[in-house]
Formats: sequence, structure tokens, C-alpha cells
Amino acid sequence: MTVLNAVREVQIPLIAALLFGACGTKLMRAMRTGSMEEGLGPTALFPTRMRTPLALVMCVIEFGLATGLIVTAGRLGHGAPATCIRLGAGLMFLVATSALIELRAAKPDVGCGCFGDFSTAPVSGRTLARSGLLSVAALSTIGLPAVTEPRSGAHLGQLLAIMAVELIVLGALSPELGEGLIRLGYSEPCELRAMSAERTLAALRRSKAWRRHSGLITSYEPTDMWRELCWRYVVFPASCQDRASEVVFAIFLTQRRPTIHAALIDAVTSGPLPWPVYQAGLRRRSQLAPALTAGVLAAPTNSAGHDMPLSSDL
Amino acid sequence: MPSGQTVRACCDRCAGAEGSAAAAIVARRRLLKAAVFPSRSGQPVTVYQPERPRSRFIRLPAARSPHSSETEAEPPEPARSGSGFADTGHLPRAVSGMVLDVSPQVLVLGDAGDEQRFTLTPDAVAWRGGQLEPTALRPGDHAVVRLHPSSRQTADRIWANIGRVTGIITERSGSRLVVSEGATRKPRVVAIQPRAIGRIQVRFPSLEPGYLIDIIGLRRDDELDGMIPATSQPAYPAARLPTPPLVSGHVPDSIAGSATWHEPGDEPPGVLGVCYPALDPETGCAEEAESGQTDGFARMPYLAIGSVLRVRNECTNLDCMLPVTGCAPVARLFNDRCVTCGTSPRGRIADLTMASFVALGGELDRGCFNATITIGE
Repeated sequence: MTVLNAVREVQIPLIAALLFGACGTKLMRAMRTGSMEEGLGPTALFPTRMRTPLALVMCVIEFGLATGLIVTAGRLGHGAPATCIRLGAGLMFLVATSALIELRAAKPDVGCGCFGDFSTAPVSGRTLARSGLLSVAALSTIGLPAVTEPRSGAHLGQLLAIMAVELIVLGALSPELGEGLIRLGYSEPCELRAMSAERTLAALRRSKAWRRHSGLITSYEPTDMWRELCWRYVVFPASCQDRASEVVFAIFLTQRRPTIHAALIDAVTSGPLPWPVYQAGLRRRSQLAPALTAGVLAAPTNSAGHDMPLSSDL
Repeated sequence: MPSGQTVRACCDRCAGAEGSAAAAIVARRRLLKAAVFPSRSGQPVTVYQPERPRSRFIRLPAARSPHSSETEAEPPEPARSGSGFADTGHLPRAVSGMVLDVSPQVLVLGDAGDEQRFTLTPDAVAWRGGQLEPTALRPGDHAVVRLHPSSRQTADRIWANIGRVTGIITERSGSRLVVSEGATRKPRVVAIQPRAIGRIQVRFPSLEPGYLIDIIGLRRDDELDGMIPATSQPAYPAARLPTPPLVSGHVPDSIAGSATWHEPGDEPPGVLGVCYPALDPETGCAEEAESGQTDGFARMPYLAIGSVLRVRNECTNLDCMLPVTGCAPVARLFNDRCVTCGTSPRGRIADLTMASFVALGGELDRGCFNATITIGE
């Protein structure tokens, strides 16, 4: 009986935490999308105009029940108020289970929406089992005596162990857990990663490739810039042996120390030109404004490979 | 009554009235990229510069009539050999123009003083709101003609006055809709025909402002008589796109999905190119502001104007390389499937110009074909 009572005691904070979480994630989703009409979860079964009010009602109910469960767990509100709240929570999960069964039949591609954006996976048997389990858990708390502080360390350990086991069971029944873990460790492929042009330019201007070729560049502002897959191409006007030319940089879009390739091309024909040969230590005087290039020109240079038509620097 | 709205200026990413600038960008960027990565292709630099036709005709050089002033819209010879571009001589070609005369054997297209004759085969089919005999075409109809692969003087397929509106409904008044096709395009008015309202509403149950629509029909002045639903309507409003699924790992070079077509708008009618749904948001373009969506339903690798795609029609096995000439702000909002030959594994991956779509063997009245695009060739 003691263990059973301990199991029943654990349900109250657990269900309350889940309800707070469900309400919070739904609100976050609504704030992100600016609406609740999108139709995720059982609200998708209703006409569009009814979805927002229904979702709001759902949020309010979840928040109210979670607060009520916490407030009435102890001596305050013990008795009829606590029973009403716990019965309400149990009924809500029963209704939710029925709605999910209906949703699964009517719209098998729609997620349950239980935890907002995390619950986009179609309703499965696991989702239904979790909802059913929670309804049983909530109903099991009816008639539970007022929850008090743990009597001893052993009692506390028992409560924590039960809670851990139940969390594991709930986690196993929650498709959202996998989704959450994926998002935590998710790294977008570079082809899909948005990266600002300013950041790319800043990385370029810190690079060895820039220091090596900035002497040819005549304008600090690029004349063209575009992106293709993982590379951003930046074109600067340049002058090489009094010939109008351009320096093209290809910068790999990564967060740190991007790989950079560069080529010197003829401004008229767009054909590749050989890099000019510099004498070590006698770098060609930059045509850029001194204020812009002072730091760049002061950087150590390496003339090796300057006669090659292209370069690649880390 | 619905009416059009103010038109925004077109940005340089669009192959619009200033399409020659876009063509120059395409060619130049390709050269610069080849200069930086000369060893990637393992072959000489290839330049593809889409021509901007001066007239509405599109033909190969061999088909040029002595009296005409047509220019080719097919990819011209690359600057150097070893291009890898499709031999467009093997592709059916698209010609567009006004019908001057039609008989059971000959179709005459052109403008005053500039006409072109095409032989009609017995199995040539025309479309003007529905299948009909070519002889049912009327002088004054604007026709898009696909030429027979074996002969450039033979018409294979004819579409008369065909138009398409793909966008977001902004106004509704009875059966008339105002549709926004993006910030750089003029809002379009669609008048849904009474005889088509049933079939359209089956596929587009929410003909309300904010929802997406894609209708094929007959062009009449500035309006479109909506007749055929080109797809099924997404359940979500355009402003509330579902969260795109996460993509991890390496993005494949080839992506299979649905290729659609769009009306030329400000583009030259014969331009060969593709509007791509995922241009680099950093480039900045007026379309972004209109739709409010920088990401589409399905994530696709970012490209830019001038990137070249190999587009393959999986239904006809025809393919060719096309430059990205614009962005497709509306196409990326759809999460539909093309079912022309099987079901495409994902939604819209390319929004082709009319000429490209027809040249790749697409049927304009079907709205899409199953396609595979290959990036980075």
C-alpha cells in the first residue's frame, strides 16, 4: 500500500509539469506562427474559424488544471476541490485520447500537437498509449490524502525512483522526445545554412587569402557577390600591372576559419590571369585607402605560390 | 469588384524587362566560378548565355526562315567545347505567336509582316480550354506550339490562349479572385468559370484571402478564365507555413520533385530558364518582403542567379541544363506532388519558363511534370 500511495503521490507533480509544458509549448508555437489556425492536433478536426478559440480553451484548461493540481495537492483545497481538479484532469486526458483516436482515423498525417512544434509526427499507438496512461494516472489520484513532505530520506528516494521510472515510460511513449533530441544536436548542412554576407566578408578580411591579395584590390566594396551551395563568391575590382582586373574569392560557408579560394581574372574577358610575382618583403603598395588597409598590410605575407593562377588558403 | 494593386519594381534577380542584365549575370558568374574552380569540371569552361529573343518566336538556326527576324532561345553554342549542355536539337521546341490562319494542314503564326508556317500532322492536337482540332483555332488566338522532334516545321501540340495564375488569394468577390503572384509581378484577376467551379472547389476548398491557388485557364485581356485546378490546395494559409522538416547529412546533388511552369509576365516569352525556390536570402529581393517567408516548405540548397541546373523530365526522359533566372517565391509555399507519371517524392523544385517547360516535353494544361534537378554540374 505504501508503494501504491507513493506512486499516486508522484502523479500530481508529474501531471502538473506535463500540463505546464504542453500549455507552454502550444503558446510558443502560437507566438511563432502568429496564429493557432494551422490545425495541429485535434483542432484540425474543426473548421478553421473554430481552431483558434478551441486551442486557446485547451491552453487555459491545461494551465488551470496544472495550477489546480499543485495548489490542491497539500492541505489547501483538500477534499472536494482537489477531487474536482483531479477528476477534471483525468477526464481531460480521456477526452484527449478519444480525440486522438478520431484524429488518427480522419487525418492520419496530422500530428497530435500535444507539445506544439515538437508533436508534428502523426498520431501513433504510442501517443494514444501515453494519453491513456496519463488519464489513468490522473484518475488514480482521486481520494489521495494531502501530500506532505517526505518523511525520510528513504521515502524521498522511493518517490524519486518511481518518478524516474515513470518518466522513462513516458519518454518511451513520446515521439516528441526523439524530435527534441534531434533538435538539440541538429546541425544544418552547409547547403541549407543561412549565413550573412557581412559575416562572410568579415571572415574573408581576416583571412590569409585576403592579406595576400589585398594589394591588388582597388575597392573595399565587392562588385558582385552570390552564393552557390556551400560557397559564397565575392568579386572585388583590382588592378594588376595597370591592367583592369578582378579578384574572385570563393569562401566556404562555415562558422570558423573558412577555406578560401581566389582567382585573378581579366575584367574585360573574365579569363583567368596569373598572379603577379612579388618580392618577399616588398609587397606591392595597396591601392586601397590607408585607413582600411593599414591592418591588412601590416600582416605577414607569404609570397610563395603568387605566380599561380589560383590559390587556396585555410 | 476585385482590382489590381500597385506593382513593385522588379529586382535584378528577375529575368524581367531587364532580362539582358540577368543573362549577362548568368554568363559572367559562370565564368568567374570556373576561374576559381577550374579543376572541378575537369573540362574547359562552359558559358551558357540565354538569349533574349527580340520576337516571340523560338527556333533553332536551321529553322530560321529567310524573311523572319527570329532569334533562338535555345542555349547557344557554349564558348568552348565540352559543354555538357543538352543538345537542344534533340528537344522538342516551343514557338509562340498569334494565329494568323489555320487550315487542316497548315498553321500560320506571326505578326503583321512576320509570319511562320507549320505543317500540321494528322495527330496534332490543340487545346483551348479543352482538347480540340487544330482547325478550331481562331485567328487572333495566342498560341504556344511545340514542334515535332523530327521536324522544326511541323507542329506537334498547340495550346491557345493558355494562362496560369499561381499565388496567394488577396481578394474575393463572388467567383472573381485577385491573386498575388509575388512582389515583382502584377496582381492577377481570376474569373472562375461556372462550369469549372465544381472541379476547382474540390481541389481548392478554401477560395479565401490568404490561401494558395494554382489555376490554369484561358487568358482574356488581363484576366484569366479559371478552368483547371493545377494542383490540390495546401491546407495551410500561405502566411502560416508548417515548420519545414529537419534535414541532416549531405544534401544530394540530385533532387526529385515537381517542375511547374509560369507565364512569362515581364520575361521575354522565349527565354529558357528556371525560377528556383531557394535563392540565397542574403541576396535581397522584393519577393521576400511580399510573401514574408524566407524558407519554403521543403528545404533546398541555396543557389543564386546564374547557377546552372540540369533539369530532367522523368516522364519523357528529356533533360537540359538551364540557368537560374529568378526566384520562385510562391512555388516554395506549396507542398504538393506532381502525379503526371507516378507521384513525385517532394513538392515544387523548379518553376520553369513556358518555353523550357514545353521544350522538355511538358504538357502545359497538365501543369507539372515529375522532374529531377542536378546542381553543380
